Amino acid sequence: MNKDLLDQIPAEEQPVASKLNSLAEEMQPSQAFQWDLENQLMDKATTSRPVQGWFKKIMIPLGWGIVAIGGVLLLNWTIRSFIPQIPPAAGVTPTQEVSFAESVRAGDICPGPLAVVHGFTVFLSNPEKTEFTAVDTGTPMGEMRSFTWSPDGKQLTIVGNTMGSGHVLVTDLAGGQVEYLLSNSGVGYLMDAVWSRDGKQLAMWSSQNNQVLSVLNAEGTDVVKKQLDVYIQGTPQFLPDGSGVIFYGADSTSAGLFQMMLEDSEAILINPLVRDGSAYAFSPDASSLAYMEYDQDTGEARLTVENLATGGRSVLGMFPIPKTPGSSLPDTANLSWSADGKSLVFDFGRLATDRAIYLAPTDGTGMIKVAEAAYAPSISADGKCLAYISDRQVFLMDLSAIASDPTAQPPVLLADLPTGSGIPNVKQDKLQWKP
Amino acid sequence: MTTLMTLPKTGYSSMDDAHLAQHARTDPQAFAELYRRHVRSIYRYHLAHTGDSKDAEDLTSQTFMAALEGIRSFRGTGPYITWLIGIASRKRALFFRGKKPQVPLDAALHLPYQGLPTDKAAARRIRVEQLVRALSTISQDRAEAIILCFFSELSTKEAALVLRKSETSIRMLLSRGLHDLRTRTSFALEVEDE
Repeated sequence: MNKDLLDQIPAEEQPVASKLNSLAEEMQPSQAFQWDLENQLMDKATTSRPVQGWFKKIMIPLGWGIVAIGGVLLLNWTIRSFIPQIPPAAGVTPTQEVSFAESVRAGDICPGPLAVVHGFTVFLSNPEKTEFTAVDTGTPMGEMRSFTWSPDGKQLTIVGNTMGSGHVLVTDLAGGQVEYLLSNSGVGYLMDAVWSRDGKQLAMWSSQNNQVLSVLNAEGTDVVKKQLDVYIQGTPQFLPDGSGVIFYGADSTSAGLFQMMLEDSEAILINPLVRDGSAYAFSPDASSLAYMEYDQDTGEARLTVENLATGGRSVLGMFPIPKTPGSSLPDTANLSWSADGKSLVFDFGRLATDRAIYLAPTDGTGMIKVAEAAYAPSISADGKCLAYISDRQVFLMDLSAIASDPTAQPPVLLADLPTGSGIPNVKQDKLQWKP
Repeated sequence: MTTLMTLPKTGYSSMDDAHLAQHARTDPQAFAELYRRHVRSIYRYHLAHTGDSKDAEDLTSQTFMAALEGIRSFRGTGPYITWLIGIASRKRALFFRGKKPQVPLDAALHLPYQGLPTDKAAARRIRVEQLVRALSTISQDRAEAIILCFFSELSTKEAALVLRKSETSIRMLLSRGLHDLRTRTSFALEVEDE
């Protein structure tokens, strides 16, 4: 209640008014409720279509209906006029439309394989995409922490750790034989690695010595260690021209997205609002950088695309986040672009059960939630399939169906995830189609 | 690349309700800002009427869902909050039309507020129920004026628009409503106890 109004209340009623005021202050909706409702409202707002007036609601479908019926009748008449009636041959059944799942398994769409790291083991899908098989079990690789595809998609690079010592291995698409690219990183337990776009450099980071960025040449013969004054806390991404990297990190005073040029090893904080290790990605055409930034002043997590040439920013979607400092914030993970640069996909949430996968068209037509209790999304190279993990299973969605109606087509169960060599963790699981 | 350092904040936080409502027709984020501004007022409005936090949450959800669906019908001829309270009022009316039997007061001890120790939660619940009971004994207009101005934090001008009365009438209703609470209910005794 405003103070002016309180001042106008007669003195004898002031104690009751004060009591009402203090009671009103106590009557706060819980943070969890506010958060949930805001999420529901945003879901509803982003999935519903603009409301039309009643006249338009009736007349537009009616008009189209009349046009459609007229068109069908005209077409029917035209066909009957020109084509003689042929009776159907006995025993011949009409050709059935090939289903999405059949097309995927036949390899007509969504060329594979799919690689996945789960429970400290790397698996590859078989050609029919009916199961996942662990890569070369004959070679000792220790804890397989992560993997990355080579830019040309011909090799899978695996980050393994034996007795706390990290090594890098490569295998072909069948995953039959694994070879060492680097047998000892010299920086301890390796967390992840990433290739430059030209495939000439592999950047690696270690959890034990995370003030060092190791850069390996493609032949595996030369490791250059870059000493930083910043702690690396997320997988680096090479700048499109390979001259430096960006990564999520922290120094003694700040945390966020840092940029480091390889020539001088100086790390500069470029966005203090980025707070997750896999929530940033350069577009395939190298023109833009996408990231999720968390602004607790406004209570928003914003999926933002920044044009690298102009600095122009566009926000593709937002989530409400708690404004209260110290509140548990949901993670953004596995942010990646489709190969044509028209979509971004990522997972957002706190636990495996409350994580959801979101698809954001880069034309700004509206971010949509495509799967719940799901994570580690990846879009196939041809842009037709979205694969993700949910409850230790890998599912596929038909992206062309999602574009028209996210709820129209249920996901297809591709295969169960086999048990790995260690305890699986949602935050370590990663799934990626061959580029 | 250094251009990444520029981080302009969204302009919605500084925009007034009327303009936000215009933007909210096409941009969900504008609606989110309106939601954040008014969720407390709507929640308190429903809690002061129902006395039950779960019912208040349900009605608050229904109110904002309806507001989202009908945002295009908001013409901006009056303040946004009065339009929103209008929706809340209709939702409340529907709720009480199909009201189930209330949970007995004793049961409050077994239904703690989320995030509060049980004794504090129960005490708070009892205070809210006492308020609802006290308001139910005075005239509806006076109770409504008190709820709008004290719990939904409307000005007398806004409350006047909602109740379709003059500002002077609202002040009168408030004054008499407070007088009734003091003289005819146990609310005043509780005030003195504290």
